[in-house]
Amino acid sequence: MAKGVDFESLVTCHYQSLYQFAFSLTRDEADACDLTQQTFCIWAAKGHQLRDESKVKTWLFTTLHREFLGARRKQVRFPHVELEHAAAELPVVPPTSLNQLDTAQVLAVLARLDEIYRAPVALFYLQDYSYLEIAEILEVPIGTVKSRLARGLERLHQLLTGGTATGSPSQQPDL
Amino acid sequence: MNRDDAKNILLLYRPGTADAADPQIAQALALVKRDAELARWFGEHCARQEVLRAKFRQIPAPAGLKEQIISEQAAQERAIIWRRNVVFSAVAATVVALLILATLWLRPQGGGNPLAIYRNRMVGAALRGYVMDLATDNPAQIRAYLRQSRAPADYALPAPLEKVAVTGCAIQSWQGVKVSMICFRTGKPLPRGEQSDLWLFVIDRALVKNAPPVGPPQLAKVNQLITAVWSQGDKLYLLGTEGDEQTIRHLL
Repeated sequence: MAKGVDFESLVTCHYQSLYQFAFSLTRDEADACDLTQQTFCIWAAKGHQLRDESKVKTWLFTTLHREFLGARRKQVRFPHVELEHAAAELPVVPPTSLNQLDTAQVLAVLARLDEIYRAPVALFYLQDYSYLEIAEILEVPIGTVKSRLARGLERLHQLLTGGTATGSPSQQPDL
Repeated sequence: MNRDDAKNILLLYRPGTADAADPQIAQALALVKRDAELARWFGEHCARQEVLRAKFRQIPAPAGLKEQIISEQAAQERAIIWRRNVVFSAVAATVVALLILATLWLRPQGGGNPLAIYRNRMVGAALRGYVMDLATDNPAQIRAYLRQSRAPADYALPAPLEKVAVTGCAIQSWQGVKVSMICFRTGKPLPRGEQSDLWLFVIDRALVKNAPPVGPPQLAKVNQLITAVWSQGDKLYLLGTEGDEQTIRHLL
């Protein structure tokens, strides 16, 4: 049981990364604060049910994502997007131009991604989670995570460079 | 795996993470070492990934968010504790009230006085109705029945009581032991359905803690009955009938 986890220490360890994830999803400070706070409230009420303390961080991110989806479902019903292989044309994004962007611009571009790509891409960059851990957090199969990441990253890079991708010929990754 | 395959796979690669352990990525990384153009692309890709990771990680949490979360939780815990205390207090008060009521309800008259409790219980048995185990006007049959039933049978009656007609007997219980109940009829008119108007209860004296010492009977009015209690030998006797002290003194 995760009874031994001190609430204040837990908040200290994870509130920033949770907020960053929440803000990546909502791009609204108040909403991100609410999501982060709500996640810790749920932890306070149900966290003792978690048997494996090593899963605390994953549990928090999963809970935050669930809360985000729950809130969004009240506004709009997401269309289910089937798994697709990522387009293989890889954008060429010079690192120097990326450096000129600030975080708000990067997040604005992230917000233009389809909803299903946003969370995996945010987790991909925010945390050093493995694909399996991202799959656990988002509660989808690992193959789906890889597909969504590939498509989401490709689209993100396209948007950041302000044009269509050019480069290598089309290839479908074996996911 | 060709160069484009490798690029597709390496798109998901983040430098400095465990991604390199993925078999597909490991294979693509091996190709990077052998392909100069792929290596150049890979270098730029890693730089881009680092920049993007840094941008995401620059998202600043609002000042005071941590304190707000902690204080909010503390406030909720205080509210929960307060509600729990209210509920606990209400439950405790209810339990105490029930215990008091139960104590009052179950407490026999006479409080901690075993003799008084015994007396009240036997008077109650006589007044509230009983079924005679043996209906007879033969005292010997009554003794025989009681002896056979392992209830006190070797009792000694006061001389005046010997002259009163018996109507039968019953066996009562007191703290798990048998009490002999001998029923008499004084000759006065009886209420309809009644067969007796005088009762003698006999029990082993040792079983009633504060049984009186051998001596003159103690009279007491209990409910509608006037009672007399006395000890003789190893027996405790309780005689009860309607009437006053004079009534019962004539029988002792």
